Amino acid sequence: MRLKLTWKIWILIIILVLSLISVFGLPPVFLQKGVLVTSVEPNSTAFEQGLRKGQIIMSVDNKKIEGLDDFKEILQGKFMTNETLRIVITTKNTEIILLTNEAPKITVAEISKSNIQFGLDLIGGSRAMVKAEEKKLSSVEIQNLIDITKNRLNEFGLTDLKVRRVSDLEGNYFMLVEIAGATPQDLEILIAQQGKFEAKIGNETVFIGGERDIASVCRGDPTCARIDKPQQIQGGYVTQFSFGITLSADAAKRHAEITEALEINTTNPEYLSKPLDLYLDNKLVDSLLISKGLQGRVTTQISVSGSGTGETQEESYKTAEAEMHKLQTLLITGSLPFKLEIVKLDTISPVLGGEFLRIILIAGLTALGVVAIVIFGRYRKIKASLALLLTSFSEVIIILGIASLISWNLDLPSIAGILIVVGTGIDQQIVILDEARQGLFLSLKQRMKRAFAIIIGAYFTAVVAMIPLLWAGAGLLKGFAFTTILGITTGVLITRPAFADMVKRIEKE
Amino acid sequence: MEEKKESNEGQSKEKFGKKVARFHNKYYKHLLLIPAIILLSSFIYMGIFYYNNGDFMHKDISLTGGTSITIHERIDTNELKSYLSDKLESLTVREISDLITREQISVIVETTSDAGTTREVLEDYLDYALTDENSSLEFTGSALSEGFFKQLLFAVLLAFVFMALVVFLIFRSFVPSLAIILAAFTDIFMTLALFNFLGMQMSTAGIIAFLMLIGYSVDTDILLTNRVLKRHEDSLNRRIFSAFKTGTTMTLTSLLAIITALLIVSSFSAVLTKIFTVLVIGLSFDLLNTWITNVSILKWYVKRKESRNEA
Repeated sequence: MRLKLTWKIWILIIILVLSLISVFGLPPVFLQKGVLVTSVEPNSTAFEQGLRKGQIIMSVDNKKIEGLDDFKEILQGKFMTNETLRIVITTKNTEIILLTNEAPKITVAEISKSNIQFGLDLIGGSRAMVKAEEKKLSSVEIQNLIDITKNRLNEFGLTDLKVRRVSDLEGNYFMLVEIAGATPQDLEILIAQQGKFEAKIGNETVFIGGERDIASVCRGDPTCARIDKPQQIQGGYVTQFSFGITLSADAAKRHAEITEALEINTTNPEYLSKPLDLYLDNKLVDSLLISKGLQGRVTTQISVSGSGTGETQEESYKTAEAEMHKLQTLLITGSLPFKLEIVKLDTISPVLGGEFLRIILIAGLTALGVVAIVIFGRYRKIKASLALLLTSFSEVIIILGIASLISWNLDLPSIAGILIVVGTGIDQQIVILDEARQGLFLSLKQRMKRAFAIIIGAYFTAVVAMIPLLWAGAGLLKGFAFTTILGITTGVLITRPAFADMVKRIEKE
Repeated sequence: MEEKKESNEGQSKEKFGKKVARFHNKYYKHLLLIPAIILLSSFIYMGIFYYNNGDFMHKDISLTGGTSITIHERIDTNELKSYLSDKLESLTVREISDLITREQISVIVETTSDAGTTREVLEDYLDYALTDENSSLEFTGSALSEGFFKQLLFAVLLAFVFMALVVFLIFRSFVPSLAIILAAFTDIFMTLALFNFLGMQMSTAGIIAFLMLIGYSVDTDILLTNRVLKRHEDSLNRRIFSAFKTGTTMTLTSLLAIITALLIVSSFSAVLTKIFTVLVIGLSFDLLNTWITNVSILKWYVKRKESRNEA
């Protein structure tokens, strides 16, 4: 066959190849073997040795790793005893040797088969949208809020997340928090709790959470942060925890001044007359008796305590642990400047994610198959029908290519957008095919011109119909509008002209 | 022999075509009665609907605010429903089952109660914790949903107005442009009426679908008007018929593809199911509104113009 393609078809081919590279990478990511490191606990041995999020583990102890199962199998049973072992982790670029008596504190996942980023509603994860209660936020305030929240979530140990500002048509600002994968416990509390921590004696405030009053908080160090053995109480168990904090010089001075004025407790002469009350968002968390030796002394070391309850020993221990972790985070990061309200919270199970994508793919391919049958039945020309299908298919690949390139999150609304692109694309190609077979007294070029008059008209009506949606509803449906506009624009600029040239060639034959 | 047969066929085809053309020339104005009656019934139905419900549609929790929890376990829906009915506000319990085996996959509980309460009540009943392994949760606060719905409605309205402007800009003549806009409007309105009649609930996905319909439905109208107004080589009827052939191929292809996709996703995604259902209804009405409403008005317009020019 003579391969003399017009420049329009060449452009389509080149863009198609570039899109495929953008989607699958070079060399293609689906050929990559190993597991992807999705998080490394800061300050763990693995972290100190240089293992980082995003690296790909190719082998452990020189045993090749093909996927998650291999990785689990190798590590399983390795750290049953308390013995210190040597494990060698080979990543793509480096080799890391760990001498440790526990499994590396990392999480791993299967390497994704493409560079396409799917939305949380497809692969699972959680998304929360937050606004201030009864208050319209300025852009400075919302930025402030985002900074504090990011800090708080990071202190809590969450790193794989996005926090950003969104606004709606009425000019309201919202904070959008998106976390891929498993939903962390207490997410609602972490992002929406104002977290106003106050330590009071009587009604005088001694110190509050945040770096102004608190110089440091003890975490992860058993000498100053501990959880006691669960104690049986009526109907379950209670577990006490306590951890030390260091006050700033100012706060310590305040503590001295306030305790100075107190008297000795009459019933319990070891302590002062008033306790130190700890409040979280105006609710009393704990009351600490102050030993009389501390009266009037400038002390920077304070122990904060609390408790967790549960039906079983384990449950009460876990609640205590979580409570302590939360309290530590709030003490470090301080309170949010205003009360918040969660206006939208979605947590989508990651379990169904893969299955969901598969169903969408099946639906898409079957629908395209039906289109193929209809088109072939109508035109009875294998070449033209095939050209039409391939063009539509290439349009999907170009959209996916651009989406991968700009790291656009493909969510369910975006998939709906791709659908409308394919639908209108096929419609417009039918127009081109029909125009090519009509008005035969005109030159083929003129006939194509006529086809494009109709196509451009349809294009502009579709684009203007999508524009309002880019802003309406806090951008939650932006994916739909964006993919649609992107897709039909690609269609009109690249694929439709190429298709017209293909039809010209086929008609000439 | 062969050739003769073919020409016979061609002749009978032509004869049939002439019959249709004669019929259409005589009755095309009468044909307008069909969409007019449907439109009128839609208006009456929507009037009654508004009177009864105080709104133009039933909104689901994505627009009114509330919680939807999907539990990926097999649960007796009737028992669950009777347990929950006095504990959660305006409750619906739906079951999702596999397309082929009809086996239950999951249960969806929707209520206007907030996320915390709903989860607590459900966990009490199930006697196990709802985690992201066994369930998904979607909560929309009423503070968001009110503004959200207003804005989406405004977006649809704006989209329609923009579309209308572009149509006027393309054709620059009043009656044909108005015919396109009327056809698009009747599409959307009839679809909404049937949507309500079928007892479906409007969601954000539903609104997306109506937006899609605006873009989708004018395609064939633009094709028709372009062929009829901007070409002069054939008779009016031939131009209409050629547009009809292309246009119905377009719409029927889309319809069949969407119906296929709808059958596959129906047990899986509430969002896509709603979008596809609205599109199927809308595209079916589009066949009627393009090839009767728009054609008749356009033919009327062209004929009047022709007779005026002759006079």
